[in-house]
Amino acid sequence: MSSLRIARAALRARPAAISRPILRRGYADVASDKIKLSLALPHQSIYKSQDVVQVNLPAETGEMGVLANHVPSIEQLKPGLVEIIEESGGSKQFFLSGGFAVVQPGSQLSINAVEAYPLEDFSSEAVRNQIGEAQKIAGGSGSEQDIAEAKIELEVLESLQAAMK
Amino acid sequence: MAFAWKAAGLSYNRYITVASRVVRRSLKEDKRIAAERRGETELRFSKWENGKQSEPRNLNEANQAAIAEHAQSASS
Repeated sequence: MSSLRIARAALRARPAAISRPILRRGYADVASDKIKLSLALPHQSIYKSQDVVQVNLPAETGEMGVLANHVPSIEQLKPGLVEIIEESGGSKQFFLSGGFAVVQPGSQLSINAVEAYPLEDFSSEAVRNQIGEAQKIAGGSGSEQDIAEAKIELEVLESLQAAMK
Repeated sequence: MAFAWKAAGLSYNRYITVASRVVRRSLKEDKRIAAERRGETELRFSKWENGKQSEPRNLNEANQAAIAEHAQSASS
């Protein structure tokens, strides 16, 4: 985790080094170095095409960071923490219940999820209690479906617990 | 890449419903109460046969039954 943080710090430090005066202007210079982020839930949109610097996503294929001019792609998201580094330099974190992230041409990023909350909205006690219950069901002799659902819950809860530490 | 829930016969829709439900239940008391109502569905449906309406059924319960049946036929 600490190596990740160092890498992120290096990423953030880089734009300052690049900001020398522009000598020549082509139309490529108009392209902004920001991503337009939309983070939408069925009941609320947290970001509406807002300019941000970087977004770190928990994709099923692994953790990924999205900067401006990212190659277009569609990623399924694991239940996990999305980190958004805003223009002001501050970063915001949301725990997503899983969903999809679509990177479109022109530095547009759309994240669709069912639930997203900042970490401080979660109760560690509720998480702990639910892990106990889900473990009981997952190890029990219920139907295949009940066990599969308990395993989904465990995956979400363990990810949430790790994020809250 | 095969997901465990898919192997158990669950749809993505069901997977994301379960995952979201557990996220809502992990919230602090005040937020949880406001959020939990979002997980409820009250949609009902009924079939018309020979010009007669059959008993209305809850869509969620019917879906659950269908998943269970599907899992059984897949494993046997």
